[in-house]
Amino acid sequence: MNKLFFPKIAAGNIKKNTKMILPYMIASICTIMMFYNMRFLAVAKLIGSESESLRVLLGLGCYVIGIFSVIFLFYTNSFLIKQRKKEFGLLNILGMEKKHIALVMFFETLYTSLISLAAGILGGILISKLILMLLLRAVSFDVAFGFEIPVKAILTTLALFGGIFMINLVHNIFAVHLAKPVELLKGGQQGEKEPKTKWIMTVIGMISLGAGYFIALTTESPLAALNSFFIAVLLVIVGTYCLFTAGSIAALKVFRKFKKFYYQPKHFISVSGMIYRMKQNAAGLANICILATIVIVVLSTTISIYVGIEDVLRNRYPSNIIVSGQEITDEQANQLDAVILKQTTEAGMSVSNETRFRSTTVAVLQDKAWFKADALTYSSSSIALLHFIPEEDYSRMSDKPISLSDKEVLLYTANGDIPGDIVDFNGLEFAVRERLGSLTANSVIPSDLIHNYYIVVKDKETVNKIGAALNDGQWEEAELAYYYGFDVDGSREAQQLLIPSLQQAMTDSGINSTAEGAEVSRDSIYTLYGGLFFLGLFLGVLFIMATVLIIYYKQIAEGYDDKERFEIMQKVGMSHQEVKKSIHSQVLTVFFLPLGTAVIHLAFAFPVITKMLAVLNLTNVKLFAVCAGITILVFALFYTIVYTLTARTYYKIVSPQ
Amino acid sequence: MPLLEVNNLKKTYTTRFGGTPVQALSNVTFSVEQGEYTAIMGESGSGKTTLLNIIASIDRPTSGEVLLDSKNTVSISEKEISAFRRDNLGFVFQDFNLLDTFSIQDNIFLPLVLAKKSYEEMNARLQPIAKRLGINGILAKFPYEVSGGEKQRTAVARALITNPKLILADEPTGSLDSRASSGLLQLFSEINGDGQTILMVTHSIKAASHAQRVLFIKDGEVYHQLYKASHTKEEMYLKISDTLTMIATGGARNE
Repeated sequence: MNKLFFPKIAAGNIKKNTKMILPYMIASICTIMMFYNMRFLAVAKLIGSESESLRVLLGLGCYVIGIFSVIFLFYTNSFLIKQRKKEFGLLNILGMEKKHIALVMFFETLYTSLISLAAGILGGILISKLILMLLLRAVSFDVAFGFEIPVKAILTTLALFGGIFMINLVHNIFAVHLAKPVELLKGGQQGEKEPKTKWIMTVIGMISLGAGYFIALTTESPLAALNSFFIAVLLVIVGTYCLFTAGSIAALKVFRKFKKFYYQPKHFISVSGMIYRMKQNAAGLANICILATIVIVVLSTTISIYVGIEDVLRNRYPSNIIVSGQEITDEQANQLDAVILKQTTEAGMSVSNETRFRSTTVAVLQDKAWFKADALTYSSSSIALLHFIPEEDYSRMSDKPISLSDKEVLLYTANGDIPGDIVDFNGLEFAVRERLGSLTANSVIPSDLIHNYYIVVKDKETVNKIGAALNDGQWEEAELAYYYGFDVDGSREAQQLLIPSLQQAMTDSGINSTAEGAEVSRDSIYTLYGGLFFLGLFLGVLFIMATVLIIYYKQIAEGYDDKERFEIMQKVGMSHQEVKKSIHSQVLTVFFLPLGTAVIHLAFAFPVITKMLAVLNLTNVKLFAVCAGITILVFALFYTIVYTLTARTYYKIVSPQ
Repeated sequence: MPLLEVNNLKKTYTTRFGGTPVQALSNVTFSVEQGEYTAIMGESGSGKTTLLNIIASIDRPTSGEVLLDSKNTVSISEKEISAFRRDNLGFVFQDFNLLDTFSIQDNIFLPLVLAKKSYEEMNARLQPIAKRLGINGILAKFPYEVSGGEKQRTAVARALITNPKLILADEPTGSLDSRASSGLLQLFSEINGDGQTILMVTHSIKAASHAQRVLFIKDGEVYHQLYKASHTKEEMYLKISDTLTMIATGGARNE
């Protein structure tokens, strides 16, 4: 036999199966490009050594993308080989031994992998500079000049994807080797039984989906959200699988019972067609649905965190500079004021938007208007923080002179709810004279995740009396804490210099206090959140590609199954137009069912996600809603493009002439 | 006035890249009377399936015309052709062409559903036909659950339920064992006895011997025809057999 015989057959096969193999190769090339770039960023010298946390993040990204690539390409390949079994069966019957077929497959894999690897790595190198600049921009580092091609990254990429292609080849050889020629010829087409209705699974699915949604909707406290979100996610995943596999078929069969509805040309064909479609594809569609939900959640959260960094900073640091200390005497407080004044004046900055008060904070359990300090369980949603502020400090802050009696308080609710006009501190009752709309005349109080109440009382003695009552008498009288937040008009750099020198001066004066400011934290927050954002974007794109490709293959595979079905319908008197319409409606359903469900999932998860974002100091719900909306739109756009392409290819396969 | 008239039908296939054109039908002319049971015979490649497809308006001829009830089916527009086919023709195919996604009943209903008939009407039409074909016990089953003979009877029921002017059968016994074949041919004779016009393409002599008339096609032309008239099936069988032998040997001499 001619030495070139097998390579030639392999090349011919690839050409013949472009429709199937090309998407696989494009997917391979894209994954290789992405993996190379992630690997490149993880080792790139241009990023510099200043940010270890970014490197760790990128290293993690490499693993995620690596693992995902293995699963994704293996899955896609198994689709391919299922479709091509018939072709190999024919070669087998025409007299090729299985080892010869293996040889043909080897050459096919050789060609496709060489092309994919070469194109992928070359493309990866070409876009690497762009990706690097994107990353540097995301983490707001200075853009470095130069171009580098780390050999290490190329080698890892070659090793990983070479390995994946080899595994796929071995899998394919086994798949063909284990099959009998008759089976090979039949390929995927075997007599299909009508799926049974699984009511129990349907009910389980409805219950667990409902329970998951219920948990997501009813979780109140952000801290509890972290725990319950996980359970809710598991329940929703179980629910999604059950409802896609059993629920869809049950629903379709119920439709079939309604004769008036069912025996209409449109419904007749799509309902019965969908029953089979769902049988074959339910699990895959459930996968796609969950993948799509992940993509949307990951993308919208990382984007909104990144876009909301300024909000985060503002939440964490309501003032440019915050000086605070525990157990500060009045004299020490005056000293601190003097130090601050001196430092800011020396730096040539003026102070504005001051928030200055003394207070004592007690962590308590809340039951409506009743409070008691207790051994705290953190998952409890009834935890609250009470901040007691003497009347004197409040008057100064708000420019409103007030005089409270012994049994009166003012209440400012930063987060939470106290009903009624009486507050009960473990037996010690006070009348709420006024509920305050804001605490200060001109500044913000940091909002927190748990319930926060600011209570203005007559004086320091009252604070201590309440403290004792809350703790059942176990209370040591102490000085109040001091909080001084203010904005300055200096530049970023000037503020970055001011804060350490302020801290130094305060330490020198011997007062136990700290100075912090947004400008000092900004860089590290940008690196962390920017890195997360970049990673989210990267993974999002990868997931979108995977989702869309899997669905493309599913539709093509189905097209071959449906071909015969539609031929028969045309013979029995269905017009070309009707066939086309029916195809569109079915492909549309299969395509958009996962996306639609993913959007519903997201809608129910929305309250919980916003609460968890609050843990990260992002409280801008509107921003998150907008990011989620945009993510869904972009996703839907990609989806629609692929849908159009798929519907066209599908129609070409199914349509007889 | 014949029910079906086929005049000077010609069909030439050209491959996409302009290879040698293949002439499937060179000049076919014949007619079928109302209530007639006609078989068309010919070897593989003689053009009989092409002929059937053109009569069925699935394929279009290069030239010539097909008149069904004096309406030229060749000139019907693409839009109306499906409805025309649905309302006037019934099909029985060799490989049954049942949809595995439908129950037996729904398979039979398919053309009526496409014609937007109400469920009550469909059911009213189905009952007598199902009873007559002996398939009322399997209506709720699915194609993969029933035998070949039952599948073919289902296909016949689907063809009959629209009350078509003409039933076209393409090798209806081709996938059946001899018992099921006999049963089906018996059924065709009965249906024909009720006045149903049938046109059947086959190369089974046994199948053709049931027909009242047999047309022989060779190289894209009607070569010969036989009438059953008062002959028995057995006599008809011998006559067809002789004709085929004559065609085959005669053909060999010409080549």
